[in-house]
Amino acid sequence: MSAVWRAARAAAWRRRLQTAVIGLVVLCSATTAMLALGLLDAASSPFDEAFGKQNGAHVVATFDSSKVSRAQLEETARLPGVEAAAGPFDQVVVAVPKGARAVPAGPLTVVGRAGPGSAVDRVKIVHGRWPTAPGEIVINQRFNVPPKPGALNSKLKLPGGVSLTVVGFATSMSQSAGAWVVPEQLATFKPPTSQMLYRFASAATEEQVRASLVGVSAKLPRGSLGTSRSYLSIKAAFSGPSEDYLPFMTVFGVLGLVVSVLIVGNVISGAVISGFRHIGVLKALGFTPNQVVAVYLVLVCLPAVAGSVLGTALGSLLTAPVLETAFAGIETGTATIAVGAWVPVVCLLGMPTLAVLAALLPALRAHRLPAALAISVGSAPRATRGLRTQRLLGGTRLPRSVSLGLAQPFARPGRSAMTMGAIVLGVTTVTLSTGLTSTILSFSEASSGGEASEFFVRAGRPGMGPTRTLTDPQTEAMLRSLPGTVTVTAGVFVGVHLAGQQQALDVHFLRGDTPSMASQIVSGRWLKGPGDVVVPPAFLTQRGLKVGDQITLKLKGKQTRASIVGEVMEGGPRFIWSSWETLDTLAPQIPADLYQVRLKPGTDAKTYAQAVKAADPGLRAEIDADEGESIDTATVVGFASVFTVLLTLVTALGVFNTVLLNIRERRRDLGMLKSIGMTPWQVTAMTTTSMALLGAASGLLGIPMGMAGHRALVDNVGSVVFPDSMKDVWHVPQLVLLAFAGVTIAVLGALLPAWSAARLTSAKALHSE
Amino acid sequence: MRVDGLRKKYGDAAALNGVSLRIRPGESVAVMGPSGCGKSTLLNMVAGLDRPTSGSIVVQGEDLGAMNETGLALFRRRHIGMIFQFFNLIDDLPALDNVALAAQLAGTSARQARKRAHELLEKLGVAHRADSYPATLSGGEQQRVAVARALMNSPALLLADEPTGALDSHSGDQVMSLLNDLNRLGHTLLIVTHDPRLASRCATRLVEFADGQVVRESTLEPTL
Repeated sequence: MSAVWRAARAAAWRRRLQTAVIGLVVLCSATTAMLALGLLDAASSPFDEAFGKQNGAHVVATFDSSKVSRAQLEETARLPGVEAAAGPFDQVVVAVPKGARAVPAGPLTVVGRAGPGSAVDRVKIVHGRWPTAPGEIVINQRFNVPPKPGALNSKLKLPGGVSLTVVGFATSMSQSAGAWVVPEQLATFKPPTSQMLYRFASAATEEQVRASLVGVSAKLPRGSLGTSRSYLSIKAAFSGPSEDYLPFMTVFGVLGLVVSVLIVGNVISGAVISGFRHIGVLKALGFTPNQVVAVYLVLVCLPAVAGSVLGTALGSLLTAPVLETAFAGIETGTATIAVGAWVPVVCLLGMPTLAVLAALLPALRAHRLPAALAISVGSAPRATRGLRTQRLLGGTRLPRSVSLGLAQPFARPGRSAMTMGAIVLGVTTVTLSTGLTSTILSFSEASSGGEASEFFVRAGRPGMGPTRTLTDPQTEAMLRSLPGTVTVTAGVFVGVHLAGQQQALDVHFLRGDTPSMASQIVSGRWLKGPGDVVVPPAFLTQRGLKVGDQITLKLKGKQTRASIVGEVMEGGPRFIWSSWETLDTLAPQIPADLYQVRLKPGTDAKTYAQAVKAADPGLRAEIDADEGESIDTATVVGFASVFTVLLTLVTALGVFNTVLLNIRERRRDLGMLKSIGMTPWQVTAMTTTSMALLGAASGLLGIPMGMAGHRALVDNVGSVVFPDSMKDVWHVPQLVLLAFAGVTIAVLGALLPAWSAARLTSAKALHSE
Repeated sequence: MRVDGLRKKYGDAAALNGVSLRIRPGESVAVMGPSGCGKSTLLNMVAGLDRPTSGSIVVQGEDLGAMNETGLALFRRRHIGMIFQFFNLIDDLPALDNVALAAQLAGTSARQARKRAHELLEKLGVAHRADSYPATLSGGEQQRVAVARALMNSPALLLADEPTGALDSHSGDQVMSLLNDLNRLGHTLLIVTHDPRLASRCATRLVEFADGQVVRESTLEPTL
């Protein structure tokens, strides 16, 4: 074994450049793979893991206690298709007043449970303890952040004079309640509903969940089932924002993996093939065929292992900030957003394994090759398929150095095909990334209202600085009278409930001039009159609604029917827009507190703000009106850029290696060509042309692939529907530039070895014979 | 061709140690000596394939030391034809294209270059193998194709490095006759060889080398 180790080490040192190239390619590939797999894992597994640990409920169902008995509900646990069930638990929705430390004001679903553990939905206590007696309550902690200071052991005063001590914070991945108390406590509220938690044998899809629930409710009195919530909708809400990134991650990740496999395979098999003379010498020295194979595998493993370790570490460093951004603000519960341990393990083991597999095939070929033949051919015998092409090109009017270069890829069709495959994917990545950046930038521009002449004036609220002195209509009139004002849209955000759902919606009621937001409509129309609502795509997908559907809005005991008249391109699932007339039917006394003002171009924003302040010190004028884009421009553009740079680098390295191998194999030819008068420039031209042809062909294939990939991506971003104007980003000059991307990658990769070949003295080259 | 005080060092080892030599137009000079004495190094220097550590080389009035790599390549195109021991034909090209290559690199059109290449192959008796690839040619045929390639640009100086070293005696004889004929036609020859037969048959002057120096020069009477 020591002979094998010594021979491999010596060979690695002698071929330092090649060893470095293998190491570098594996490093870049491992970084790409780590980044891709890490993001895919983080985006998909945390919910499933945490949900599985709690044996989460596939359905949280609420039943009308007046229509169904406890015994009937208990019986449902034994129905076919029900894997496990918990309940019935008494449930009530209470209104939390303002000022509570542990929980925000608004409706709170309280469930009576004796303990956190049960057959389904094993609630995890994260701070404090579970209530043991009446007068105590534990709050569901939605976000994976510590509770506010002083929240634990604080008092929660509920309507009807009930005061509860917050004894703990717990998390239910099923989101079965907003808080829990002991059953005896809940009895005092006279609960109108009972909660059942089910796990079904068949619950992979929404249809299966629905069918399973129908199977349960069919055995119960008609109308007893109130509301129900599928775990799939919770999962969708959990992974919704990250799913915006998931298509990007998947496409770039898959591209990265395929390019890595192609290049690692090409680089390593080429390294073994070019070492056939060395193999022959080793055999002549007495190395057994198995020892020869071992030498080459060790030779490849040395840089591959080093590259894998460094690449995995670099990938881990890059993954952390991207994950942080992608999962910011998500109700994670107990789910931990981190890359699974299997990812670095796969990268650390997978890349060297891939390298060894790539080396094994040519090494086994060397295993069979007689020593004399190996020594005489120096490298694997070349294919004769390129001869015809070589001859045809020799007869053309092209400069001979160019025609010689053009013919080179045909001499090693396998190597050329693998190199071309990598360049195609490189061009695809560049095209995709360019398109994506254009789309995301125009999206960002549209989301921010385009030019900075959009101004926002907010009315101060009690306890938050000076309060307004002008009334709502006075404020609007004042703004309209100021010099520079073009349009004014008044509005207010109000928490409104959707009939049949517990979570409140943030509705932005608007009046006055049409806001710039109206230009973001992708289907339907903007608000026109009473009962009109405009919603984002996430609102529709999470509720299975579409433009034209009717919904019922509820506010403080009043309700009104509303029609979804339009869809804007983005926004959170709980955020919608409606007309002022709609608010009038629900709560006519609520004034507008946010005024969107469009200024004439050239109007000085500072002077305008001062004029607003002078008119009413309780008004705050500001340009920034960030309502939060669902896709972070910097993240997507940054992500695409990192992958583009990595994949371009890997591809260029692959080209570099192919040219290096070609030059090594044609060293003697090169010397002869120089001896008959080939100039250094002609050598460079011949060498770069050999790859430029592959680059040009790859450009022709890669551009349509990149365009198709871009279309597929922008059509499948969860919370955003891009209008056609943002998707049609391809223009002739841009496509022409992209067509050069393949040639550029190929020439960049070929240039260095081409220069080195041009500088190689003929005597040295010929000496190698 | 005029070589003065030529020295070439590879690290600490001196391959040429102050060589001076003159070759007149039409002359045929054989350089002989033991392995490693610097014969091939001299040939490479004269062809501009390698650069001397010191000394000067002037061929056809052109000082090689004053030329850059491109200048040297153009110089080789115009003035030098090289014949190698192992022929150095490009495996992917048929004999005709191997020969035509030298002219095509100089900008001659493919059609004209192939026409001239065919004429040369005909003169050297291998026109019937014009479409054959090097791997299918015998050693003698390959060397004749290599000679045709060397003659393609009508060089003033033909440099041959062990031109019969890789050939059987019959093929070697054919190549010797060929070189002799070329010299008679007016080509200047500088032949590096181990083979005294080649020197005596093709050269009019013998230069003997040892340890990178010229140790003896003598005039030869061609035996053929």
